[in-house]
Amino acid sequence: MSSWLELLTDNFGALASGFWVTLRLVGGSFAVAVVVGTLVAALRIAPSNWLQRLGGVYVETFRNIPLLVLLFIAYFGLRRAGLPINTWTAGIASLGLYTAAYVAEVLRSGVFAVSRGQIDAALSLGFDQRDTLRRIVLPQAFRTVISPLGSITIAMIKNSVIVGGAVAINDLLKEARIIASRTFETEAAFFWAAVGYLLVTVAATVAIRRLEQRYAIRR
Amino acid sequence: MGYLFDPNNWEWLVTSNNFEFLFEGFLVNLQIALIALIFSLIGGLALALGRLSRNKLLAFVAGLWVDVWRNLPVLLVILYVYLAMPASWREAYEDAAPAFLPDVLQTGRVFAALLALVLYNSAVLAEIMRAGIQSLDRGQSEAAVALGLSYWQRMRIVILPQGLRRMLPATVSQLITLNKDTTLVYIIAIEEVARRGRILTGFNFFGGVQAPLLQVFIVIGLMFIVTNLGLSRLSRRLEIREQQRTGTTVEPVSGLEDQVATVQAR
Repeated sequence: MSSWLELLTDNFGALASGFWVTLRLVGGSFAVAVVVGTLVAALRIAPSNWLQRLGGVYVETFRNIPLLVLLFIAYFGLRRAGLPINTWTAGIASLGLYTAAYVAEVLRSGVFAVSRGQIDAALSLGFDQRDTLRRIVLPQAFRTVISPLGSITIAMIKNSVIVGGAVAINDLLKEARIIASRTFETEAAFFWAAVGYLLVTVAATVAIRRLEQRYAIRR
Repeated sequence: MGYLFDPNNWEWLVTSNNFEFLFEGFLVNLQIALIALIFSLIGGLALALGRLSRNKLLAFVAGLWVDVWRNLPVLLVILYVYLAMPASWREAYEDAAPAFLPDVLQTGRVFAALLALVLYNSAVLAEIMRAGIQSLDRGQSEAAVALGLSYWQRMRIVILPQGLRRMLPATVSQLITLNKDTTLVYIIAIEEVARRGRILTGFNFFGGVQAPLLQVFIVIGLMFIVTNLGLSRLSRRLEIREQQRTGTTVEPVSGLEDQVATVQAR
């Protein structure tokens, strides 16, 4: 165990930089996922049949394709096609767009979970369509989706590893692999990487539970 | 855009045996997913029963095991198991692997991939099964006790048939995730579809013609999309049939990326 601690102190700089890269990757992708996911969810509940179908195609495509293949398309594929995309853009775009499909589905289910009577009541009280959505439907929808959105975020944190596995971004796992191949202390290097990831996922779990206790509606 | 729609690039895919080469790789992915699923279901059931056990120690250990493995990135697990596995284990697998498996699946590194996928997926499936079992009305278990059934009889006759049926949609969602995760074993140099895609596009063919990398990976992506869409259709079908048969809806299982499928059904 003392040698494990030594490995941590000796390589703390590299591991910390990998941890920071992972956090930035997760943060950037989360922003993309929320923005695109909301837009796709809007398409999915739009009054037009065509827009709904478009949203559906997005969700089914990005939810069923392996993230690794998406990364190969976004980075190596686009570069071969002559588009000089860089690793960070490709990584954040892929992870973000992939996660957006899940976000969209959850948001849509949240909107549908608000009972029809609520909408009828709002309309009969003289709210217009926009206000009904903004003041009645969305606040309630948001509260029902906290828990599933949380699971998606945690899955996204875990999926961020795949980005480092496909393109040259030195995230936490990549740094741990470099340390492992240099020192031959595979167990220790991977142990600290695992601790790093568990730290982030557990922190996210606790934050989500807090949010849930404050806002969630149990149905 | 010109590159994407250039017919020569698409034609390249069907010249010689490029497409067959990829498709054979994809079949390796499906086989890995299937084998991992079978063992994960067995392991998941054992872990779920352990976690629900009245033996406090067993419940704690099973719970800790499940929570650790399902919260780790699966790629980390694959790499770790591969690097940490003693060579003797791999050799033992190579000796023990049944001869009907294709050559790729008989190599020792596949054992590392399978073990890692089972470690992760059995933990996830254990949680799905636990949720399925716990969603049953307490009265079911109490009635079974009142009828004088033993623990195993209760599980086998009353609890599991109902609980497992409820977890079917979530299990299929997890199977889709597992199916996608099989591409990750490319990192330990198993010749499945993603690795084959890289091999195919890694060097320049015939007189400096660059392999159409974008098209190759779009085709690989389509293979997964078609298969996974088929799986989710099947799951939806089974779910609807179940609802019509029993008149109940499935309780959502929380804590999973792919719970979306169950939330949606409500």
